Amino acid sequence: MSAQHLTEFHGLPVFDLPPRSAEAELPSADAVAWRLRIDWNESEEFGEIWQRFLNDVDTTRVAALIIGAWNEEMYDEAPSDELQYVIDAVPRFPALKAFFLADIESEENEISWIVQTDLSPLLQAYPALEELGARGAHQEFTPVHHASLRTLRLESGGMSAAVVRGIAESELPALERLELWLGSEEYGGDTTVADLAPLLSGARFPALRHLGLQDSEIEDAVAEAIAHAPVVPTLESLALSMGVLTDAGAEALLSGQPLTHLKRLDLHHHFLSDAMAQRLRETLEPAGVELDLSEQEKAEDSGGRLWHYVAVAE
Amino acid sequence: MRQPHPHATSGPARPAHFTVVGNPGSRRVALFRAAARAAGCPEPVVVAWRDVLCGEYILAEGTLLRIDSPGEDDEVDQLLRGSAFGPDWAPARAEGSAAWYRGFTAALRSIAGTAAATPGCTVLGDVDEIAAMFDKRRAHTLLDTAGVPVPPALDQGTRPVAGWEDLRTRLAASGLRRVFVKPAHGSSGSGVAALVLGPLGRASATTSAELVRTADGQVRLFNSLRVRRYTDESDLCALFDALAADPLHVERWLPKATQQGRPADLRVLVTAGRATHAVLRTSRHPMTNLHLGGQRGDLDLVRDIAGPGWRRLIDTAEQAAGCFPRSLSIGVDVLPAIGWRSHAVGEVNAFGDLLPRLPGLPGSAAEGQDTYSAFVTAALNTTGAAAATQGTLP
Repeated sequence: MSAQHLTEFHGLPVFDLPPRSAEAELPSADAVAWRLRIDWNESEEFGEIWQRFLNDVDTTRVAALIIGAWNEEMYDEAPSDELQYVIDAVPRFPALKAFFLADIESEENEISWIVQTDLSPLLQAYPALEELGARGAHQEFTPVHHASLRTLRLESGGMSAAVVRGIAESELPALERLELWLGSEEYGGDTTVADLAPLLSGARFPALRHLGLQDSEIEDAVAEAIAHAPVVPTLESLALSMGVLTDAGAEALLSGQPLTHLKRLDLHHHFLSDAMAQRLRETLEPAGVELDLSEQEKAEDSGGRLWHYVAVAE
Repeated sequence: MRQPHPHATSGPARPAHFTVVGNPGSRRVALFRAAARAAGCPEPVVVAWRDVLCGEYILAEGTLLRIDSPGEDDEVDQLLRGSAFGPDWAPARAEGSAAWYRGFTAALRSIAGTAAATPGCTVLGDVDEIAAMFDKRRAHTLLDTAGVPVPPALDQGTRPVAGWEDLRTRLAASGLRRVFVKPAHGSSGSGVAALVLGPLGRASATTSAELVRTADGQVRLFNSLRVRRYTDESDLCALFDALAADPLHVERWLPKATQQGRPADLRVLVTAGRATHAVLRTSRHPMTNLHLGGQRGDLDLVRDIAGPGWRRLIDTAEQAAGCFPRSLSIGVDVLPAIGWRSHAVGEVNAFGDLLPRLPGLPGSAAEGQDTYSAFVTAALNTTGAAAATQGTLP
């Protein structure tokens, strides 16, 4: 599995600004989530695409903006210039509510090779932003105070613990959904349970209703921490999916605090035995918890060792 | 040798009898025989590739000759490229494509010579065009010259890529960091590697070739059904040094459009100049070959998403096939770009019609026909021959 291009964002269908050569009709500015990206068969560069977007679209009505592949070679440089375009254009986007950086699939660049940048300056520039997402090898996140942000989703094959700590130190009083793909150590994912502690304390984000700590090699340890985390009773939805969750982690979940108040528990891509999956179903489903146990994985035997893989790494 | 006339649909009806050069017992031969019988033609004669390669075959006078793939037969494989390995030959080996091509083209010339010396024998296709399609460098140049969109290729000039260091240096100098490296004479994805020169001097190659080192340190490559990824410098060096022992074609890896996150391409079969069949192939790897885990995707969805781009895509496939005007049936691999607005031609396949039970495109001449029936119909139309049942009408 790998990360996929967005088809819907902030409740709007995603629409690609067509290449200059296409001469296609454009939708109403507020009817779609606009995605800007280079066309690999065209010579137009991202800076030119950005200018064309500002010229051709009434950006004062744009609510959702996505930046996709910004360059044919995205291996060495973060999209700092591209992010700066958006930051500098604040007066042009009074209605912007949602932004996603680096909507890129592995055919364009592996997620671990997408060099990411600090997203805090964007949040500071757009105090009314409600949804922020980004994909890649996240390295840093300067703690911010932001009163409007409701959804933060960082996809990664290996997220630096500095990012987790930066988020944990932020003041985000409106944050309802937090999704972090922690990733694999081989690709830079070095978050420990200690780094997650402030997020799990429940004290940081009073409005939090969905927490996703996903795609982690230490998913069992995360589950153990979750089993006693003060944040859990206030959640409506929890995702410990895409990672290396085994029977040990699930056992911890079952023997910890009740999870029956959850509307949804997402554990897809897991390494649970059939028996453990059944125990989870019997415990949670009668209470009305929607349980996602799809994508039961098997450890791969290589060189006499068993290997468990997270869903998204390289 | 008579060439088929592209538009000869009338003329004296004479009973058509087919001969197919192929591997007896193969799916290809079985499907073709069934299609010929279904069209009312007598049971086709099968000339085994093995016998062609041993020089032990004759062709019947007046026969319509179909040349099919020599692949998937161990004995034929050994006859074609065994000399490159000696005692170490194994059917799964991924090297030896240069030797294979020499053997194959010599056999094609033999068939053409025999056909020319056989009164009334018509080759359905053209051996020179088949040979060109089995040289990815030549085919790429032909398509490019004709204005068919193709991914830019590494210009190797008169100095073929010699190995890993040479490849990496020349790619860097050409500004190519994501490429497909393909044995120029390969097929079925054998030896193909999707190579990325990543950040900080790191590189990654995704390939179905399995790297095996013998006890004495020799490197061998085996075709595998499992696509794997090599990132260690020593592995990359071993892999590409081994691949470069045969001629390589190197072209830019244009990111493909995806369906449910799976990279997709289209095999469009062009029969007698017109697109008659198309299948969408999706995979979780950069390679979409069905035996490497590729699956058939949803073609209707593509037509919806691509909109006007669909017609342009079909036009491109027909334009590509037009570069090989004497070939009755060509499988064109079209690579849709992300967003489905544009595309490029990845490969042209002389034996690209093994698409069992795939119905013809609605509105095409082959609507309701599988690829083999479409071939038989086109062969009868273009040669002015008639099926036996038609020929014996009073």
